[in-house]
Amino acid sequence: MTDSLIGRNLLAGAEPDPAGDAGHADHPERVGFFTDTSVCIGCKACEVACKEWNAIPEDGLDLTGMSYDNSQGLGGSTWRHVAFVEQTRPVGAPDPSAPPDSDSETELRWLMASDVCKHCTHAACLDVCPTGALVRTEFGTVIVQEDICNGCGYCVPACPYGVIGQRPDDGRMFKCTLCYDRLGAGQEPACAKACPTDSIQFGPLDELRERAALRVDQLHDDGVPGARLYGQDPEDGVGGDGAFFLLLDEPEVYGLPPDPVVTTRDLPAMWRYAAAAAAGLLGGVAAAAAAAGRSR
Amino acid sequence: MRLLDLLRRDGVNQAARKKPHTEQSWVAPEWAWSWPANRRILYNRCSADPRGEPWSERKALIWWDADHGRWDGHDVPDRPPSHRPPKDATGPDALAGNDPFIMQADGKGWLYAPAGLVDGPLPTHYEPQDSPVPNPIYHRQQRSPVRQVFGRDHNLYHPSGDEPGSEVYPYVVTTYRLTEHFTAGGMSRWSPYLSELQPEFFCEVSPELAAERGLAHAGWATIVSARSVIEVRVLVTERMTPLTVGGRTVHQIGLPYHWGPNGHSRGDAANELASIALDPNVHIQEVKALTVDIRPGRRPRGPELLDLLHDYQRRAGITRQTGTEVRG
Repeated sequence: MTDSLIGRNLLAGAEPDPAGDAGHADHPERVGFFTDTSVCIGCKACEVACKEWNAIPEDGLDLTGMSYDNSQGLGGSTWRHVAFVEQTRPVGAPDPSAPPDSDSETELRWLMASDVCKHCTHAACLDVCPTGALVRTEFGTVIVQEDICNGCGYCVPACPYGVIGQRPDDGRMFKCTLCYDRLGAGQEPACAKACPTDSIQFGPLDELRERAALRVDQLHDDGVPGARLYGQDPEDGVGGDGAFFLLLDEPEVYGLPPDPVVTTRDLPAMWRYAAAAAAGLLGGVAAAAAAAGRSR
Repeated sequence: MRLLDLLRRDGVNQAARKKPHTEQSWVAPEWAWSWPANRRILYNRCSADPRGEPWSERKALIWWDADHGRWDGHDVPDRPPSHRPPKDATGPDALAGNDPFIMQADGKGWLYAPAGLVDGPLPTHYEPQDSPVPNPIYHRQQRSPVRQVFGRDHNLYHPSGDEPGSEVYPYVVTTYRLTEHFTAGGMSRWSPYLSELQPEFFCEVSPELAAERGLAHAGWATIVSARSVIEVRVLVTERMTPLTVGGRTVHQIGLPYHWGPNGHSRGDAANELASIALDPNVHIQEVKALTVDIRPGRRPRGPELLDLLHDYQRRAGITRQTGTEVRG
């Protein structure tokens, strides 16, 4: 298998088999999440189920003023995060994401969306990890091995979504494992199990992508033109997300980057430039030395 | 049959049944179990006419199979349609096969309730004990004449509607629970995972009310009734809409329940603002709707808090008799 990897850029581009290319010869199907935010009711059961199952510490009792979102974002101790977005829109507007006229009657739209680690096809956190603590599992997901992580923090700025974070009183980095321990026992992740509306759906990624495409068509037919998928495209900057979303507005509205790119994509080119520059520098030094030798 | 026998009927733990909805009728009688007869819809007899024919095919729950002389359907039936009780029958045995409301003494649904209620026989409208507006239905009867009130120093009531002093407490408070809380404060505030989701006691106000009273989003506010003074963080949100009642704007303040002085997430309690005024039938206190004033900043501590409380009571002209009338 390793032979087939030679000469390929594994940091970006098409990657149909991340688990296989990570060395899992006979691996199960790649699994992931499809989070359909159109049916999220903002109950936060996913956040609580995640913390309960994974024994994550409470990380702050701060009222943020950001609607009912007091978790603020993903981090070392928040692996599911429900965003609440209050929007004022014209009553009965065909596309609720259009801004209101000044004199039209308005109504409120309350968007809720449960965010999670994207388990990228090209995971920069994993690529930059110097200890090998971050690994690709046989399910195609990305996990941190708690007993290996030394807390160097390279993965934190590498993540294009700002998902992985440090637990301050611990020093190590933590993020969603897609409940690796439950997957091994044939169970779905705790958040998907707890979700009362099936906003969080777990399953083989190929199946989820098909189901998501049908759901978008259905919402468009039902008069929700703003429905769109986020992170489902294997051609995007991270090779597609293992956890992707159905959104009702632009990604930025939910605090998601509109066009994420794996931060290690340009590493091969950067090294090539560096090598060329080094060669140029060496050549110049040699030429100068030769010239100096002649003039002596 | 004993409860345990019911639960173990056919050798199956009835309560543990989890047959998918795709493998049974839409009433899903084989999903878990429902006490006492596994009946899922109490008055399902109403879905069929007196002869047992469903009123609607789509909504049919049970139907009479005349050929076999028995009920058929998705739910558990009671008596055959033609059943008539003996003259000397009493209690549930006295109900006939065309009496669908089996929890009622006579098996009938009541629009007119001449017995059993202190304030029957027909529904009507009175304003809450504290209200910023006059009763629009009975101009000379503001509050229910049969409510139970207890006018005393720690349970003073507000002037309402047109009564002088009602303008001292001009805003409506409505109380509610939060999804993040489990049952009540004792179970919620002591759970770190629930406390971090709703970490502080807050009120919700419209942008209009925030402008009128100078309230800052995520800042502090003090809320005053004749009973107490509490402090809350402020969420300014368009989810709260000013009401138009009787031709004027009435602002409402949303207050969630279940904060208190202990646990991971602590704060003042919404109930400190409420009075005890009981409904006459089941004696439930009226804590869903009351009137208050709101002002920016944190509440005073110690004797200054009582000074503020008493100043408001004085300005509103409140005595132990305020709001305790039977008629009027």
